[in-house]
Amino acid sequence: MNVIITPIMVGQVVISGLLAGALYSMVALGLALIFGVMRVVNVAHGTILMLGAYTTFWWFHLLGLNPYLSLVASMSLMFFLGILLQRTLVVRVVNAPELSSLLLTFGISIALVNLARLVFTADLRSVEFITGSFIAGPFALSKSRVISFAFAVAITLLAFWFLQKTKLGKAIRATSQSSEMAMVCGINVRRIHLYSFGIASALAAAGGSLVAVMVAIQPQMGDVYTFKSFLVIVLGGAGNYPGALLGGMLLGLVEQLASLFLTTQLSEAVAYLLLVLVLLLRPTGLLGGRAR
Amino acid sequence: MKRLFLAALCGALFLLMLYPLEASGYGVRFMLQLFMWVALAQSWNLISGLTGYVSFGHVAFFGTGAYAGAILIATHGWHWVPASLLGGLAAMLLALVIGYPCLRLKGPYFAISMLGLNEVMRVLVSYFEGLTGGGLGLSLPTLHASVQIYYAMGLAALAVTAAAHFIITSRFGLRFMTIREDEIAAEAMGIDTARYKLYAFLLSAFIPGVVGGFFARDQGYIEPISVFPLVTTITMIVMALFGGQGTIWGPVLGAVALFVFQEMVWARFLYLHEFFFGAIIVVVVLLMPKGILGVLRERYRLPRTI
Repeated sequence: MNVIITPIMVGQVVISGLLAGALYSMVALGLALIFGVMRVVNVAHGTILMLGAYTTFWWFHLLGLNPYLSLVASMSLMFFLGILLQRTLVVRVVNAPELSSLLLTFGISIALVNLARLVFTADLRSVEFITGSFIAGPFALSKSRVISFAFAVAITLLAFWFLQKTKLGKAIRATSQSSEMAMVCGINVRRIHLYSFGIASALAAAGGSLVAVMVAIQPQMGDVYTFKSFLVIVLGGAGNYPGALLGGMLLGLVEQLASLFLTTQLSEAVAYLLLVLVLLLRPTGLLGGRAR
Repeated sequence: MKRLFLAALCGALFLLMLYPLEASGYGVRFMLQLFMWVALAQSWNLISGLTGYVSFGHVAFFGTGAYAGAILIATHGWHWVPASLLGGLAAMLLALVIGYPCLRLKGPYFAISMLGLNEVMRVLVSYFEGLTGGGLGLSLPTLHASVQIYYAMGLAALAVTAAAHFIITSRFGLRFMTIREDEIAAEAMGIDTARYKLYAFLLSAFIPGVVGGFFARDQGYIEPISVFPLVTTITMIVMALFGGQGTIWGPVLGAVALFVFQEMVWARFLYLHEFFFGAIIVVVVLLMPKGILGVLRERYRLPRTI
């Protein structure tokens, strides 16, 4: 493979990396919330993202409305699905060994994916709404990706504002710092778990909706995002919410750079290598997180 | 009681030895797959049931063994038995390379790093097309050896169950279980936890590799998706969990129960198969996390050798 790599190509790749990274950050922030408050790795996170993507597809397909408006619908639907899942199932494994929560959320995941395949069929579906690219100097930027980037940044900022400034957001952060202390301070921890799962699912759904506008979707699209989100929270440091932002951007960059120098297939392996290296060298994440 | 159990066990083994003489082709293949699941569930039990380190990507060893075995059979013309044994060694080598760093991780971090390992193995196998045939898969020369593979799988299942028996009833295994109960306390008592975790991991990787080789020979054709599916890992976990993880006979019981149930019931629901599997996982996790033997143990006094 003797491809000449020009600075412009690197620039292009860096930009696409950041565009993809913002989406990873947003989705991973959801997983980080659940992991932060409950120490549960939600394997069904990507599945909820998939359901969000289908919400957008049907919204566009049946109603013919602007798919970006469907963000509201998919986020609120998945917020309630998240609350329902937490309330009925996940609540029972919050303090159980990690095997229980991993398996439980995996069970939920394959059951939902199976239902999605039955109802939506396994065909690739796409939302053809915006095509073409913005041309900015030497770079060509896919329009849908730029718009998705803007939405992802806006939603992530909103989530951060919520976590920093509102009473509920502060209660969520307190719970993820120490469940017991939060309880002593009069925070209803079970209710915080409920809201966290709901908000996390809404963030995943937003990711799905934005993905649906960019690429074709199918019922099994979610698994990749579950793994990548976990990678992001490891990179950023578990329980460290700003870390998820940095981790997402970093993952986007590394993936795109790796696909420039290697093949796309191998760039997945590079992401894994990154996971193992970070876990070994800086187990508390790049920004430092809670000790484990 | 113990003698009765031993006699029943010998009787069952004797019947299983004679079974292929009488059985139909379907019967032999059914039992062969059952043995495979017993061997896989029991192998997972060795690392996760005993030391508490949840391997969420154990199928990586199965797939590695399958590919190593298949390559030796298809391109180097080896007999399938030594090829599969070498597949087991290949899986152990992978366990050594990956276990040395990853076993330092705790809880969900170890689990997810194993999940990632499986994904990476699948990517690598698809990538090195020259050796593995890539996404097209690898075809093995035809050979009718169902009965021989039946005995080989049976032996693998027996061997790993015997290993579980030896480990659980020995001082050696007591160290594993100490790590599971409290790793810091284990270290304080002078157990070299890093070394014993690695031992458990290596032991648990060998048989899946061997069984992977047998599986490749039995199927005659393998591809990355067929030997590295996440569902296989989950199935072995659920089997071990359902029977009772950390026990000798739990994984065997769980594998038999779940596999028979799968063949009898789920196979009829072609389209809802995975939905039911998901539902069963949820039910097992929520209602009987200690498994059948765990529940029995709470009710009755059972010897440690069960």
